[in-house]
Amino acid sequence: MKHLTEEEMIEGAYGEGTRDAGMHLQECAACSRSFAELRSDLSDLDRMEPPERADAYGTHVWRAIESSLTAYAPRRRTWFNIGLMRGLSYAAACALLVGGAFYAGMHWEHWTQKPATAQIGQPKPKQPIVLVVLGDHLDRSERLLVELKHVDAENEAMMPPLRDEARSLLEANHVCRKKAEESGDTELKSALDRLDHLLTEMANQPGGLDAAAIERLKHEMNSDGLLFEVRVLRSRARDREPARGSQLNGGAEL
Amino acid sequence: MGQMGRDDHEAIRAVLSGEKDAYGELVMRHSRTLFRVAYRITGNEADADEVVQDAFLRGYRSLEGFESRSNFGTWIYRIAVRCALDKVAGRKRQEESRIGDEDDREQCEIQVADSTAGPDRLLLSREIAAIQQAAMHSLTPTERSAFVLRHMEDRTTEEIGAALGIRPNAAKQAVFRAVQKLRRRLAPLRATT
Repeated sequence: MKHLTEEEMIEGAYGEGTRDAGMHLQECAACSRSFAELRSDLSDLDRMEPPERADAYGTHVWRAIESSLTAYAPRRRTWFNIGLMRGLSYAAACALLVGGAFYAGMHWEHWTQKPATAQIGQPKPKQPIVLVVLGDHLDRSERLLVELKHVDAENEAMMPPLRDEARSLLEANHVCRKKAEESGDTELKSALDRLDHLLTEMANQPGGLDAAAIERLKHEMNSDGLLFEVRVLRSRARDREPARGSQLNGGAEL
Repeated sequence: MGQMGRDDHEAIRAVLSGEKDAYGELVMRHSRTLFRVAYRITGNEADADEVVQDAFLRGYRSLEGFESRSNFGTWIYRIAVRCALDKVAGRKRQEESRIGDEDDREQCEIQVADSTAGPDRLLLSREIAAIQQAAMHSLTPTERSAFVLRHMEDRTTEEIGAALGIRPNAAKQAVFRAVQKLRRRLAPLRATT
């Protein structure tokens, strides 16, 4: 009989154990004894109760911090809404571009099917990235990274726009990563993976971006040369990108 | 101070419209909850008071980034957990810089309990509390916070991960390590209780 590990017992003690573990505890006297000891040890730790705080505690805290707070100017709220709208419109435009490019790409595949079948035996061309979308995405990513590099970490007003932009880039980044993976472009995929990590950190920092988080993100970005790599990839995408009009009419370069 | 009857989201809208005092309503509503978790993580009343103030200050400055669909109580709670974690980590760093004193200090805490006059039961209880305090002190800041959130605040693994900014599996491992360490440290008590 395989006994439960301490980890399984701890999971069980906090109500996250598996059904099998629960059944084993009912059948195995040794494990049942160990489990009872664990529960007893844990219940001893329940004695650590915080001291009581009076109802007026909140008032006391408020008085202590009130003078350190500066009232938000109403215009900042408006500005905040504009920032939000800008973020949403970027996301919508991006989604439209990606959708349009995929649609064009599908047609392009259809139109070029016959010539492709005539080349049976030749290596299959790599699945492409939609270069127009990728170029735009890398452009915006580069701008964001440059802003991050030069942002004054103490200037709190700069944090919400950075975070909003990171959020709006995340979705397009996911699409581009997926396409990079499908096309076997490992270099691009690797850069977009690291970009994804940074964007996620910027977008979802609990409590919002603060000076410490910004410094850490700057350090991460600098230490792995992400900005440089994005610049190189953007330049590569631009070189391969045909004139925008023909790209959108004729579909993506595949 | 404004209208005390409004809910958190209304108060936040008022704050962002320039009505600073509306934030006082949020502070009054959530201070005791934050104090409770801050005390449990820091293990120190004065530190916990500081953490509560610090969390509300940080919360105010980040309020523009607060998502309207989120729950303010959960949001500010996470900020407080982070502040408490920072506080414990800072204290740990200071103590490590004078590591030579560490054993003496722990020993001293336990000796103080021993020297207290009173009925046997009270003495034993104080001694146990001192040993428990020392055991909690032996945890890393992340282990301690994860354990407090799991054991005392009844938070799920996912909530712990979100509050500490780590993956749920890492949060689960932190709780495991904490329980294992605490049990090892508290094993001598089993014979006496």
